[in-house]
Amino acid sequence: MFEKGITPYQNVSILVLVSFAFQTMLMPLILSEVEGPVGWISIIVGALILILTIKPINKIMDRYKEDTIVGISGRLLPKFISKTIGTYYIILFIIANSLLMKDFAEQIKLLMLFKTPISAIIITILLTASYAAKKGIQTISQIAHVTVLVALIPYLAVIVFSVYYSDYTNIFPMYPIDVVGVAKSVPNALFGFFGYAVLMFSNSHVSKTEKNMKLNKMFIIISMVIYIACYILIIIKFGMEEAVNLVWPFLSVMKFVNIPGFFFETTEIVGMSFQIIVTFTCVCILMYFTNLAIQETLETKENGYFIFIQIPILYVMAAALPGMYMLSPYIKIPTYIFSALNLLIPLLIIFKGKKKISANN
Amino acid sequence: MKKIFITLILISSVFLLTGCWDNVEINDREYIFAVGIDKGEEGNLIFTAEIPKINEGSEEQRLIYTEESKNFANFYNASFIRSDKVISDRLMQVIVIGEETASDPDLIKRIFDEIERSPQINRRVKIVIAAGDAKDIISTEIPSNPIVGRYLSELLVKLKKENYQEIYTFDEALLNFKDFNSAMIPIVEKFDDGLKIESSAVMKDYKLIGNLNYTENELITLLLNPTNSKLKNINVDVENTTISLGSFNVSMTDKIDIKENKLYADYYVTLSCYIDSFELSNKSLEDQNFLEKIKVTATDQISELTKKTVSKLQKTYKTDLLKIKDKLYKYHNTEYTKIKDNYEQVFADANINVHYTMVIRSTGLVK
Repeated sequence: MFEKGITPYQNVSILVLVSFAFQTMLMPLILSEVEGPVGWISIIVGALILILTIKPINKIMDRYKEDTIVGISGRLLPKFISKTIGTYYIILFIIANSLLMKDFAEQIKLLMLFKTPISAIIITILLTASYAAKKGIQTISQIAHVTVLVALIPYLAVIVFSVYYSDYTNIFPMYPIDVVGVAKSVPNALFGFFGYAVLMFSNSHVSKTEKNMKLNKMFIIISMVIYIACYILIIIKFGMEEAVNLVWPFLSVMKFVNIPGFFFETTEIVGMSFQIIVTFTCVCILMYFTNLAIQETLETKENGYFIFIQIPILYVMAAALPGMYMLSPYIKIPTYIFSALNLLIPLLIIFKGKKKISANN
Repeated sequence: MKKIFITLILISSVFLLTGCWDNVEINDREYIFAVGIDKGEEGNLIFTAEIPKINEGSEEQRLIYTEESKNFANFYNASFIRSDKVISDRLMQVIVIGEETASDPDLIKRIFDEIERSPQINRRVKIVIAAGDAKDIISTEIPSNPIVGRYLSELLVKLKKENYQEIYTFDEALLNFKDFNSAMIPIVEKFDDGLKIESSAVMKDYKLIGNLNYTENELITLLLNPTNSKLKNINVDVENTTISLGSFNVSMTDKIDIKENKLYADYYVTLSCYIDSFELSNKSLEDQNFLEKIKVTATDQISELTKKTVSKLQKTYKTDLLKIKDKLYKYHNTEYTKIKDNYEQVFADANINVHYTMVIRSTGLVK
C-alpha cells in the first residue's frame, strides 16, 4: 500500500504544476475563441467560479477526511452514480495525460530530437514516469515541490527576458468587450485549472486537512496569476492576429529570450529543458491519480499495479491522437463537457452533503 | 539477482545515454550567416548563402554558395548533396531580399511563410531589402568586416537601438504585415568599399511599392517612437549663416479622432535642441530674438519636410506607415469598426497635421 501524508504546500505545488501544463497547452483555445485581447476576463471568471466552490467542497471533504471524491460519492450517492463518477475521472485523467504526452513529445521531436520516432519519446517518458509514480504520493509530492523550485520558477523567470521590444499596447482594445466570446471561453479557462480536478483526490492525502481550504484558494489564485501572465505575455509579444496563428504560442515566446551575456544556439531549447521536467512531473502526478481513481472505483486494496496497466493504454492513446494543431478544432466540445462535469460533480457532492447534514440535524 | 539486474542496467545505460546517435559535431557543420534571395526563372528563387569558415579556425574567411531552388527546403537539399558538411541555418543572422523578389507579393508570401513555419530559423533573424540584387550584397567584400552577415547584423542592431530604423527583424516585419498590411524594411546598398543602410523600403500587401529617403525615414520613426528618437542634424540658414542643430529629447502627444467618417490626426511634437555649430566670434546667439529666429526657421523647415513626407504616404503610397490604424483599433474601436473596410481611402483623405515646438536648451560650451 502507498503511504499517505503530504504537506499542504506540497499539495499546492502539485496543483499549480498540473494546471500550468494544461494552461500552456490550451492557450490557443482561449486566444482564438475571444475577439480581441480580453481572454484574461474568461480566466478571472473561471477562477472566481472555482474559488466559490472551494469552501463548500472542503467542508464536505473535511467530514470524510480519508476519502477522495469517488469515496465520498460512494457514501452520499447511489452506487451506480458513484461508479460513474469514478469512471469519469479515470477517463478524464487518461485522456488528459495522453494529450499532454502527445503534445510534449511533438514539441521534442520538432525542436530537439529530429530523427527519433515519436513513439520512442512517448514510451521513454511513460516508463520513467511510471517508475516514479509507483513510489507513491510522498515521492511525487516531493518531486513536484522540487520541480516548482528548479523548473517552473526558473522557466517563468527566463521568459521574462523575452519582453524586450514588446508592444504593451497590444492589450487594447478592452472595449467593446466580446461578451459572447468571453462567455464561450470560460469553459476553456476552467479546464486550464486542471489542478481543480486533481485536488478532489489529492486533498485527502494532505496530513493537515484544516489548511486545505486556504491553500486550495491559494492554488487557484497562483494559477490564475500565472495563466493571465502567460496570456498577456503572448499578446504583447505577437499581437492577437499572430498569436491565434501559432501552434505553441507559449513556446514561441521562448524564441525571443535574450539573456545578456548568454549565448544559446536556439533559445527554445532552454524553455524545453525546463518544460521536460515540468511535463514529466505532471505525467507522474496524473498516472498516480488515475491509479487512485481506478483503485477507488474498483474498490481494490493493492493499487500500484494500475500504474503499469495504464502504460499500454496511454501509449496507444498518445500515439493514436493527432497533434494539438490538428485537434484544436475538435477539442472545444470535449473541453466544454469535461469543464462542465469537473464543476458539476463537486456541486452535486456539495448539494448531497448539505442535504445529508440537514437530514441528520 | 536484483543487484545484478540493476548493475546490468547501469552498465548498459553508460552506452545508451552517451548522447544522441544522430548528432553532428560542430566541425562537420556549415552555419549560414546570411542568405540572399533573388528572383529566378519560372517562380524559382536564387539563394546565395554566406558560410564563414568557422570550423577551419578562420573567422574572416567565408564560402559563398549560389543555387536556384523552389524554396529554402530545396536549397538545403541541394546544398546537402554538394558538400561533405551538414548545412545549418540555426545561426542565420541576416536575410537579404532582392529588389525584384520584394516586388513580387507571391514570392514574398512564400518566403515569409517558410521562415515563420521553420522550427530552425529564429524569428529574430534580421531582414533587409537589397537595392538591386541580393547576391551582389552578399558577395560584397568589406575589408573591415569580411563576413557580410555579421556586418549587417551588427549594423542593424545599432540602427535599431538608435531608432534610425523601425524594423530590423523578420518577426517585426511579419507582425507589421499581419497587423497593418504594410512595413518599412531597411534597404541595404553598396557604398564604396562596403554597405550602407540609409533608406527604407515601403512594403504594402507584401509588395515593394517605393522607398523613403533618410530624412523621410527619420521623420516617420520620430512620429512612431518619439521617446527613443532624435533628429540627428538640422541645418538652417538664418541671416546668411548656417546653423546646425541637434535634438536630444523629443516628447509628443497626439490627438486622433474620426468625425463623420473623416480621420483627423494631430501630433504635437516638442524638440529640445542644442546648437552644434555656428560661427566663431559671432555673438548673435546671446540675442534672444536671434534664437527665436532660429527656432522659427528650423520649425518651419521641419514642418515642411514632415508635410511632404506625410503627403507622400497619403497620396503616393496610400500606406499608413504612421500606424494610425493601430491607435484607432486600440483606442477608438467603435469608430474604427465603421471605417475599417474603407480604411485605405480614409487614410488618404485624412487631415494629418504635425505641430512642432522647439526649445533651444544649450548653445554648447560657448555663448
